[in-house]
Amino acid sequence: MKFSYDWLQSFFRKKLPSSTKLADFLTLYSFEASSNKGVLDLDILPNRGPDCFSHIGVAREIAAILGAKLQMPSTNVAKNRKSKDFVSIEIKAKNACSRYTARTISGVNVGSSPEWMQERLKLCGLRPINNIVDAANYVMLETGQPLHVFDAEKIVGKKIIVRFAKKGEKIITLDGQKFDLDPSILVIADSAGPMAIAGIKGGKNPEVSKTTKTVVIESANFNQKTVRAGSKKLALKTDASLRFEHGIDLNLAELASNRLAYVIQEVANGKVSQSLIDFYPKKTFPKTIKLDLIYVNKLLGIRIPEKEIKSILERLGFKVSKISSCFRVTVPTFRLDLSLPEDLIEEIGRIYGYENILPKLPFGSLIPAKRNLRVFWRGMIKNILKEAGFSEIYNYSFVSKKDTSIFKINPIEVKNPTSSEFQYLRPSLICNLLKNIKKNQNREIKIFELGNVFGVTERTMLAGMVFQDDAFFLLKGIISVLLKSLAITDFYYDSYLENIPFWNSKRSAEIKIGREKIGFLGEISPSILKSLDIPKKVAAFEMDFEKLHKLCSEEHEYMPISKHPAAIRDLSILVPRKVKTAEVLNIINILGGSLVRDVDLFDIYEGKEVPSGRKNFAFRIIYQAENRTLRASEIDRIHQKIIKILDKNPEWQVRK
Amino acid sequence: MDLENIQREAQKAIKNSSNLEELNKVFSKYCSKRGKIGLILKSLKKLSKGERIKIGKQANEAKNLLKSEFNKRTRQLSKEAVNKEESIDVTAPGKKVFLGHLHPLTLVRREVEDIFQKLGFSIIEGPEIESEWYNFDALNIPKDHPARDLWDTLWLKTEKPLLLRTHTSPVQIRYMEKNQPPLRIIVPGRVFRHEATDSSHDIQFYQIEGLMVDKDVSSANFKAVIQEFFNQFFKREIKMRLRPSYFPFTEPSFEIDMACLACNGKGCSACSKTGWMEIIGAGMVHPNVFKNSGLNPKNWQGFAFGMGLDRLAMMKYKIDDIRLLYSGDLRFINQF
Repeated sequence: MKFSYDWLQSFFRKKLPSSTKLADFLTLYSFEASSNKGVLDLDILPNRGPDCFSHIGVAREIAAILGAKLQMPSTNVAKNRKSKDFVSIEIKAKNACSRYTARTISGVNVGSSPEWMQERLKLCGLRPINNIVDAANYVMLETGQPLHVFDAEKIVGKKIIVRFAKKGEKIITLDGQKFDLDPSILVIADSAGPMAIAGIKGGKNPEVSKTTKTVVIESANFNQKTVRAGSKKLALKTDASLRFEHGIDLNLAELASNRLAYVIQEVANGKVSQSLIDFYPKKTFPKTIKLDLIYVNKLLGIRIPEKEIKSILERLGFKVSKISSCFRVTVPTFRLDLSLPEDLIEEIGRIYGYENILPKLPFGSLIPAKRNLRVFWRGMIKNILKEAGFSEIYNYSFVSKKDTSIFKINPIEVKNPTSSEFQYLRPSLICNLLKNIKKNQNREIKIFELGNVFGVTERTMLAGMVFQDDAFFLLKGIISVLLKSLAITDFYYDSYLENIPFWNSKRSAEIKIGREKIGFLGEISPSILKSLDIPKKVAAFEMDFEKLHKLCSEEHEYMPISKHPAAIRDLSILVPRKVKTAEVLNIINILGGSLVRDVDLFDIYEGKEVPSGRKNFAFRIIYQAENRTLRASEIDRIHQKIIKILDKNPEWQVRK
Repeated sequence: MDLENIQREAQKAIKNSSNLEELNKVFSKYCSKRGKIGLILKSLKKLSKGERIKIGKQANEAKNLLKSEFNKRTRQLSKEAVNKEESIDVTAPGKKVFLGHLHPLTLVRREVEDIFQKLGFSIIEGPEIESEWYNFDALNIPKDHPARDLWDTLWLKTEKPLLLRTHTSPVQIRYMEKNQPPLRIIVPGRVFRHEATDSSHDIQFYQIEGLMVDKDVSSANFKAVIQEFFNQFFKREIKMRLRPSYFPFTEPSFEIDMACLACNGKGCSACSKTGWMEIIGAGMVHPNVFKNSGLNPKNWQGFAFGMGLDRLAMMKYKIDDIRLLYSGDLRFINQF
């Protein structure tokens, strides 16, 4: 919000520091400020709106910071007749209007406002209109009280009514915009209909014009929630609505009305009516807060002398009296933001200067940080995948409307998305990873992501993708290494697959650990690849990190290396194509028992040299005993037994 | 043959051998147990005592002499062999090795976590989908109040009104509901805002929340902890300042600026000429937040803070556009 430096200066006899210096002071002690050519741009904090959306409010801050004396502007008006002679008021919506004042000024000369006033308005971003309207805006910028001026002659029935709009009512505002109103919107009406949207904007009908002679000044206090809701509904934000939605001191209405009457008299002559019509059923009074001085120092962590605390509070305009070790602090009604001792401690701390609080390391029991296993295993998994040559991706948590049809998903929808690109929450990490493959046109890609996905529940998932030749088996190898590194041994790949549209059902497996289903490994469905225009097969996996990390273990024990030599025998077997490696492997392992240390499938061959519909597996079996050197005859016996049993299957043929 | 002849013959053979293989043959022909000198030594026992001493001495001397000449020749030949090796173009590039890469946010997050863990802060996490209660109400952010405008929210089309958390602060409440002070936690996590994106704003980013509560944790303690964090993270003494701010869930509230890294506080384009960079929002936990978490504010006090992880990563690696972090562009990620 913009403030005029000269205007702020006008509240002080003493010369203020330069505008740059003043901005620095305000930044350090009140709110962020910058200055440019006599204009201070202040980022008033939301809780300070009620008192500081005004030059007087900011001047009060400056007074407190610098310890300077504040000169309040004059409100001394010459009064004669009674306002009641011109208008009456009726407040129907009492809950939405806590105070309503009206005052008439007769015999005004409408014209342009003086140069100095126009200058100040322009500096603060307002457009000068005429001396009456400008005066109202001027006093709003000065006091923070939004004010409205009606042409008294144009009020039909001479009665101002504050009520909610009726269904179907319309209003044309001062700037010619048309709005449809509804019963949630508070209006100021006469007997003909709405004259203004209360607290937001005035209407065209009772507008002050060149011929206006008598004006009614409205200085009121409308409910902040009502104004906020109305402003949101109409998508109409104004200087008035901004102030009302932050809340305004009820006692300001009268003061601002007096001030406006004074200013109008100055710039447009006129006779101010003697009395104020004032609807103010429930008055507010200054609050008193009990402040424990020990707590002040305990919360800030420094010792500020009692005298200093008192001086700061008084500079802020508070009344202070002492009762034993406490202060009774009476806070003026314009400080809507203060109600707790902590609020006062903030006032003391900031004016004293946070730079004067010396850093002090906490003093207490030495409790070590608790180990977070989720974090530990996440780090471990990331490291392993990095070692395996993967790059880590952080994708958006969203998928697009288009994705829902490509991936045949039905994800949670965002009510107010920023764009259709981010309209849904990702139900899986696969969608966006696949788009990464598409976007990065590298020859070979290995990527992974660990992040949350959203479905019935929110879950953390681990997913990865490989884009290169023979991707499936490469990825399978990597997952096996990953799981072994996490000390998980009882994992296997189950070709049974529920029908999930991502996967190529013939080239996918379910990853299981013991009985727990942990995720999927497979090639992405060709139809998805086609719709994304990805030319090569892509292998992917997705695992449930919530389940996975609970199965990980740090147990790791050294296995003695056998002192006895190992013997190697190769075995080649011709089987029908549909036979799975695991079927043959299982037989070898069962028959070999503890003497078979390892079986390595080093070749699978299908092609010219084998009959069609068949394939050849070549295994390398390593025989070794823990406790002795195996004799050749012993090895031959087991090996022959394996061959014999394998050969028993009529469709299988061990090649000798 | 007499020793002298054998010796002469051997010396000649050593000299004439043209490679290590040949040389080894020469060695075994003369000096091994079954070599010519070896056999002489073996036959000594047949001789008389006088002869034995005389010839034995001569034979051993000859053997030692040959051995030393043999060693000399070995060194010579080895050297020659090396010299014969073809030289390589050492300026030719090495074979390409492909390493994996961790995302810069992972790297920075680990660093921040390590620093706070050393200071006794435990790492806690919370959900990204939140209820209005945890994200706003419990944090003393009133409904229909302009204060809420500080957090532009993405709402979900769910049965119960749910939202994407706009900050990690809800985890303060969730943690204090279940844990009694004294407590020290940090909460890293992804947060979301309904925001127009540009090079420094995105609809998602990472925050690290901090919370320390005990009998008398003060603002001065907060200053010291954050100063320590800055110094460790940036690996030098960082100048910082606190200035007043407003968050509904802290009272007093602070904004923490650090002296601009680019200009060291002098004022440059990176800090819009102010010399300072706003980096942390913080304050002393508001009594209502304690109440809403089931703790008695009379018994406890503490500080809470939140900072943007993306911002730290961008400062550390001089990344000029936040959107790069979520682009999935390997030309970017593979630089880390």
